[in-house]
Amino acid sequence: MSTPTTDAAAPAKPAASGDAKKPPPPLVPSTTSAERLALAQQHGLRPLNVRPPLGEYIRSLASRWAFIRVLATSTAYAKNQNNYLGQLWAVLNPILNAAVYVLIFGVLLHLSRGVSNSIAYIVIGVFMFRFVEASVSGGAKSISGKTQLLRSLHFPRAVLPMSTVLSLLTTLVPAIVVMCGITLLSGYIPTYTMVHVTWWWLLLPAAVALMWIFNTGLAFIMARMVASVPDLDNIIGFVMRVLMYASGVIFPVSHYVENLGVSETAKTILTGVLDYQPIAVYLYLVRSVLMQEDAFPPSGLMWALGGVWAVVFFVIGFIVFWRGEERYGRD
Amino acid sequence: MTEADEHMDFDLEVEPEDAGQEALETELGGPCLVVDDLHVVYRVIGGRAKKEAEQGAEVREIKLKVPFHKRLLRAGRRHVGAVSEVHAVRGVSFTVRHGESVGIVGVNGSGKSTMLRAIAGLMPPKSGSVHVSGEPSLLGVNAALMPSLTGERNIMIGGLALGLTPKQVDEKFDEVVEFSGIGDFVYLPMKTYSSGMGARLRFAISSAASPDILMIDEALATGDAAFKERSKSRIEDVRANAGTVFLVSHSISTIEAMCTRVLWMHQGQLVMDGPVHEVADAYKNFVRAQRPGMGPARRRALQRKRAAEEAAKKKAEEAEQKKAEAQALKAEEARA
Repeated sequence: MSTPTTDAAAPAKPAASGDAKKPPPPLVPSTTSAERLALAQQHGLRPLNVRPPLGEYIRSLASRWAFIRVLATSTAYAKNQNNYLGQLWAVLNPILNAAVYVLIFGVLLHLSRGVSNSIAYIVIGVFMFRFVEASVSGGAKSISGKTQLLRSLHFPRAVLPMSTVLSLLTTLVPAIVVMCGITLLSGYIPTYTMVHVTWWWLLLPAAVALMWIFNTGLAFIMARMVASVPDLDNIIGFVMRVLMYASGVIFPVSHYVENLGVSETAKTILTGVLDYQPIAVYLYLVRSVLMQEDAFPPSGLMWALGGVWAVVFFVIGFIVFWRGEERYGRD
Repeated sequence: MTEADEHMDFDLEVEPEDAGQEALETELGGPCLVVDDLHVVYRVIGGRAKKEAEQGAEVREIKLKVPFHKRLLRAGRRHVGAVSEVHAVRGVSFTVRHGESVGIVGVNGSGKSTMLRAIAGLMPPKSGSVHVSGEPSLLGVNAALMPSLTGERNIMIGGLALGLTPKQVDEKFDEVVEFSGIGDFVYLPMKTYSSGMGARLRFAISSAASPDILMIDEALATGDAAFKERSKSRIEDVRANAGTVFLVSHSISTIEAMCTRVLWMHQGQLVMDGPVHEVADAYKNFVRAQRPGMGPARRRALQRKRAAEEAAKKKAEEAEQKKAEAQALKAEEARA
């Protein structure tokens, strides 16, 4: 058959009514719906817009790892490229950030932290928390802000939140170098205890990796939520601010629980929640690795918890995200 | 006649270089795309359409049940919780075979682009289904990849998104750059490109993966004649490899030059489907009929304008003549 096909039941008659101003009436297809579906099946055609099974989805996502990596590094690079100082900002930005927080919370406000090295405490807290915060807000926008991309290219959508967090991880690397440098230098301040580079420092990449997995899970959940209810994007900032104080980023919050006028059991529960929630756990891990303070002894329990939180959030987040796969890009 | 028909754009562009060209006839294979009773509805948050509602696609508010005592809140509902639904494609069914080249025509807002996105699997349908063989690849003018990155990076990202490996993209790099004809601009950020350069690069990227079904949304409109020639041969390549091409364009001559079959969409429904010349002629007739007619007032205005033009011309001619005469007279005097 070499002539063009048509699906019209009857050959279309242009402007049959003689009124060229009106388009012809809607076509009546020559085949029924069941016939068309049978035809599709007979020729082994694949239905589109159907959520792939979880195993297949994971496989197709894994085959796009290069895409995730390139997208992540390119966005991280592009962020600073339109400045005169270019990639230097990747280091300058965290230094300025640390300076502001140290000035306000370390020098101007005197809060008891139960540690002697306030600067290291604040810098580690702020840098690591910003990684979580940026993952949440970036993950939230990773689907809703990329409608154009979603409507022009076909790929597993989980690529977007994953590359968003990976991109943050690449910008975190220079920040971590700055963080380690400040931590070391702060040891030379007379009233602070000396900080040494120990074998424990080798565990820093492990702690950051756990955090990365946890953040990716968070980004998955946020991406799905904001894609279906865009209003949630407005609330994220407030929630993250509450979490910042609840996680002991700048001062340990569990010390203040003691002063609350509630029963002893309520205090124990509250302290437990505050100490063992994921963000507090990861901050503890990084501090215990970098600082030699009595308040942060190395703890196997915390490492185990860090691993559990990472896996739980990643798996739940991934499944939550996958279940919305066929809907992204519709709104 | 609905309001929509009156507000329609009259887009019957004719590109002179396309005139007289015809798409190659290729051997058709089995079906490669089956669309069954496709409906696409999208939610629009933050807008409540009243007037736009009539423009081809059907727009309707989601009826939220509002009890009597909440009537007062109604006044603010335009600004709070404004959600509309656009019913852009309303029950479209058709089958396309391997090697076919299908053009889609229709006035602005008739649901062409939305349908193309739906059959490319990029826009989830509300009901109905699309079945394909192979991987469809849509190429649209708006498909901005990453404007802040260089063309080089965008080629990599686009290629990877289409499922190529980094090595394959590297191999195709020179071919893509040459095809797009942007030269050394490939090392500059894409936001510095002219719109034509951007569109050309995107076309080159998305056709580099040699897709089974290539869908093109108006992209050829931005290229120059040489680029059009290259894209046309690329389209023929896809068809020769038993691939299928979809083309949405406002230029009816481009459709006539590149397609063998045309679908005409109107208000989200298919109104005609058949060989290119039959449908293209009917569509041309329809669009011409929509043009503002020669009413008596318009005709009089035109006549007046023509008369004025003629008078001006005559005056100019007379002046010229007088000048020439005067010069001749002067010359004679000088000789004398």
